[in-house]
Amino acid sequence: MTATADATTGQPAGAQPADTQPASWKETMAVFLARQIRDTDRICSGAHTEISFAATMLAQKMHAPNLKLQLGGGAFLCNVADVEVDELPKTSVDYRIMGWAEAYFEHHDTFNHYGPPGGRDYYENTDRWRSTNKYFFADKFFVGGIQVDRHGNANLIGTGKDGHFTFRGPGSVGINDVTTVRDAYVFMTAHDRQRFVMASDYVSMPGPKTYREKDLMGNGPQFIVSPRCVFDFSGPDQTAALAGLFPGHTEEEVAEHTSWDIVRSPHFVDIAPPSATELRILRTAIDRKGVLQK
Amino acid sequence: MSRGAQTLQAGPIELPDGPPPRREVVTSAREVVAQISDGQAVAIGGFVTANHPMPLVRELIRQGKKDLTVIGSATGGLEIDLLLGAGVVRKLIAPYCGAELYAPLGSCFRTMVEREQVELWESSEYILYAGLQAKAMGQEFMAWRGGIGSSIVDLNPDLKVFPSPLGDGKEYVAVPAISPDWAFLHLGWADSYGNGQHPGARFGDRIMARAADRVALTVERLVPNARIRANPVMTSVPYADAVVVAPYGSHPYASHGFYAEDAGHIEAYVRATAGFRRGDRSGLDAYLEKYVFGPDTQDDYLDLVGGRTLRALEAEYEHLTLGRHAFDVFGG
Repeated sequence: MTATADATTGQPAGAQPADTQPASWKETMAVFLARQIRDTDRICSGAHTEISFAATMLAQKMHAPNLKLQLGGGAFLCNVADVEVDELPKTSVDYRIMGWAEAYFEHHDTFNHYGPPGGRDYYENTDRWRSTNKYFFADKFFVGGIQVDRHGNANLIGTGKDGHFTFRGPGSVGINDVTTVRDAYVFMTAHDRQRFVMASDYVSMPGPKTYREKDLMGNGPQFIVSPRCVFDFSGPDQTAALAGLFPGHTEEEVAEHTSWDIVRSPHFVDIAPPSATELRILRTAIDRKGVLQK
Repeated sequence: MSRGAQTLQAGPIELPDGPPPRREVVTSAREVVAQISDGQAVAIGGFVTANHPMPLVRELIRQGKKDLTVIGSATGGLEIDLLLGAGVVRKLIAPYCGAELYAPLGSCFRTMVEREQVELWESSEYILYAGLQAKAMGQEFMAWRGGIGSSIVDLNPDLKVFPSPLGDGKEYVAVPAISPDWAFLHLGWADSYGNGQHPGARFGDRIMARAADRVALTVERLVPNARIRANPVMTSVPYADAVVVAPYGSHPYASHGFYAEDAGHIEAYVRATAGFRRGDRSGLDAYLEKYVFGPDTQDDYLDLVGGRTLRALEAEYEHLTLGRHAFDVFGG
């Protein structure tokens, strides 16, 4: 509980009641990602984004207390199912993460968790290995990008060509290292034709087609998530197909802001807005300062 | 969609009975070992005369497991020798098996290697760790210079020498991944969710845990989760698959933070197995009968050892560590 929050509701002072103010796009994405998390998943929410931090902690509190959750790069295994969270961490080494942790290991030791239990069989017969308890990096992982293309190649490195940059991004960070991650979610916080391109200038995480061709152990990107919609991948070339629309967004609007032709996935769904319960827990137990509402 | 990828969850997850409980993993040595199939690979943690998960080691013998691949620590102790003598091991991955000043080499180890009754995967300390690390990292092999020019690469056909791709004319050893189905480790304490902490030396236990598909701990104490959270930096093995509460669980070997090794017991084992090289199993069989097949439970085993002996080992540990007992040093 912080000084600026109402002592009885835990809401930011002056805010509207927790479940009446409409969900922001960040809250909608966080709730959507939380829904995708299963109780026995092992997930790293690595480099700091407030949306994926909130999503994973929300899942642990709502339906996945057995989620093995590495928060931050530095490598804290956290369980907040029964722990009070005062506010979202500000960086991936925010010291309050230590207060939620059951284990800490050196950052370089993170890479000693890249081998899944069962080796390659983990991906073929995932349910057989769900009974194992150990932490693995990771069943799901959220990958940022300044560009993503129709084959799911994510680019955090920069724009330009032939080793030159017209725009320099953060770099690949650790993204190209996570070859054993089961399902990566390419995670875009803006959706326009500059970002959703036919072919990424550089590649920090290759798309699922390249994962298959190069026989990398994991599945590679399985979804692209933006504030407007979700894509999955289908066909021999693993091409992006529209798998879901967030409330208030349309296929025409997505087509207007995407460089490739929009095709609906056979698995297309309309994504339900955050429920009152989801929003209440997000706002009163995870994001008490309303970071996701800004 | 590809292998195992899930479809989207479009709406809220409805759980009429609320969220499931957190999984608790406290169990018995018998139940852990019952999950081991003949032919599987089991890594045994600790080092020489310290921190071996003995209730699990004895249970492997008691349940008559066969054809195991046993992966010893980088300096394996006589717990490996016991497994060899008891006939549960087909293949051994361990650079050493003995007890140093107590016994330069385990008698069963030496005899069975010389008579080719066990398949020894010849290795060295870092070749062992490189193999475990390859598995932990999800790679097929690790490159390592150690072993080049030695006989280790000749004695072990799985170790492949290859030229450096950097064009400097050097050779490297490709150490293939070593894949334990289980790691059995002895730690000071753990919570019921499987978070284990070492109050002393960790030896090679952490890399064994990271390489293994599943991990079982024997622990001196079961502690509340709050105790683990008070110092998460100490959690060396998060989320083990099984926690077996076994006070004095490393006896006759030491447990860092708690008690010294039982020199008298170890010396008695060395004497009992001395005849093994001459084909005389009677000493080993008598030891197995008394300490492995005789006692049904860890408590029965401890009754055999005797409270007086156990208290003396605790006192010796306190004396050797100037009274810096683990529970004092680490806030217990």
